[in-house]
Amino acid sequence: MQNIFSINRTTYSLCELNNIIKSAIDYALPDTYWVIAEIADTKLNQKGHCYLELVEKEDSKTIAQVKANIWAYEYRKLSLKFQAVTNQSLKPGMKVLFLVAVTFHEVYGLSLNVKDIDPSYTMGEMALKKREVIERMTKEGLIDLNKSLSLPIVPQRIAVISSPTAAGYGDFFDHLDNNPYGYKFIHILFPALMQGAEAEQSIISALRKVRQKRDLFDVLVIIRGGGSVIDLNCFDSYTLASQVAKLPLPVITGIGHEKDDTIVDMTAHTKMKTPTAVAEFLISGVRSFEENVTEIEDRIVKYTERLIKDERYTLGILTQKLNFISIQLTASLNSTIDGIEKDLRGNIKQFMQKTAAGLDNFEKVIRLLDPANVLRRGYSITQHKGKILKDASHLRTGDIIETMLFKGMVKSSVIRKTKEAEEREQEQAVDLFSGIDGA
Amino acid sequence: MSKSKQLTYSQALTELEEIINEIESEEINVDVLAEKVKRATCLIKFCKARLRNTEEEVKKVLSAIEEIPEADHGGSK
Repeated sequence: MQNIFSINRTTYSLCELNNIIKSAIDYALPDTYWVIAEIADTKLNQKGHCYLELVEKEDSKTIAQVKANIWAYEYRKLSLKFQAVTNQSLKPGMKVLFLVAVTFHEVYGLSLNVKDIDPSYTMGEMALKKREVIERMTKEGLIDLNKSLSLPIVPQRIAVISSPTAAGYGDFFDHLDNNPYGYKFIHILFPALMQGAEAEQSIISALRKVRQKRDLFDVLVIIRGGGSVIDLNCFDSYTLASQVAKLPLPVITGIGHEKDDTIVDMTAHTKMKTPTAVAEFLISGVRSFEENVTEIEDRIVKYTERLIKDERYTLGILTQKLNFISIQLTASLNSTIDGIEKDLRGNIKQFMQKTAAGLDNFEKVIRLLDPANVLRRGYSITQHKGKILKDASHLRTGDIIETMLFKGMVKSSVIRKTKEAEEREQEQAVDLFSGIDGA
Repeated sequence: MSKSKQLTYSQALTELEEIINEIESEEINVDVLAEKVKRATCLIKFCKARLRNTEEEVKKVLSAIEEIPEADHGGSK
């Protein structure tokens, strides 16, 4: 030991040496520097200081590593700024552009003190990564795969992947169950963590369960809402998005963010902004089906009413026609019958009058021709051998003839026959008599 | 979608559309019309009732879901 001191070399205490290093570093690196590094680890202590482990990798091999810190005051400001732009918090795996001062502490050693962060770099990095995933999904035909499924005409049986404690989930089923039309939805929750490091695996395992029971459902809804807008990057993962794409059920997302769509949103059949909007969408789907049905119902009712009205109108016209015709027919029959009756009456009267007049005449003639009356007027009837005598030539002198007078009979004998003129006169009288006899 | 013999919404809607087309083609007589209207009414009733009453369906889904122990029956709440 004495030998060492005897050489008379200069020695430093560790503190002295570290101070020298510190001044050397301060001297060599007096400014602040923009440095690109990947976060390997991050810790927040109770005082609010943030401690980071930064690395640079080449082919997943670490080729540089250094500690870094962001003091509490700075951290509050920077983390807000970073989240505002990227919707993410600083976390491992992220490439970040830091403005740092290189510091050396006697106890804690070399460390980068972060003064500022440029979030646009990370944005660019993320966008690049996202673009790569989109390109890959497009190339593999996955980005439009779920969209090629058609939505059910009535989305009534709904599988839901969400966190049971998420406000968005409560909003979702409140909205569904209290829809103004009284539709009943069946919604079954397949719970999953919707943020944090395990979200991706948790959602993928929920998707697997839904897939097993896909026949029971019309659609799958993935909702997340109500929480912070950060930590959406699991929805940009290729693994998760490709699982969503391959699900044989239409997927509707309501992940609850305003910024760029995540890849899961892009892959889903339908993307809605919020869980409530998803509920609205489903209700409107059912509503539009019912409106279809109601429209057909209205058309059937209208058409049937019209047809019945038409038929009734036709029937009315027919009834009217029938009434009219029957009235006409009755009237014409009546008038014909009236005519016949009138004619009949007239004819009967005439006939009776004619008959009466005829009878009167007859009576008169008969009275005139009554042989008694003829006899009364001085004519007489002569009989010979019981036969009425009309021709004197039938008589011979000495024949006995009987002459009937108005009063009494005379028996005489023929003395002589007179001239023919006298005979004819007698003949006429006898003819007249015999005519009456014949009538 | 539904594997059961029960009529699906799309079957009902297709049939309704057929009926309305037939009716509106005006080549239908009143007797057939009555028959068609009866069937349509039945289909419409079925659809509207099923939109608002899903008890049976819920039971079916729930019993099938029970095979997955982790699933939470959110819908039954």
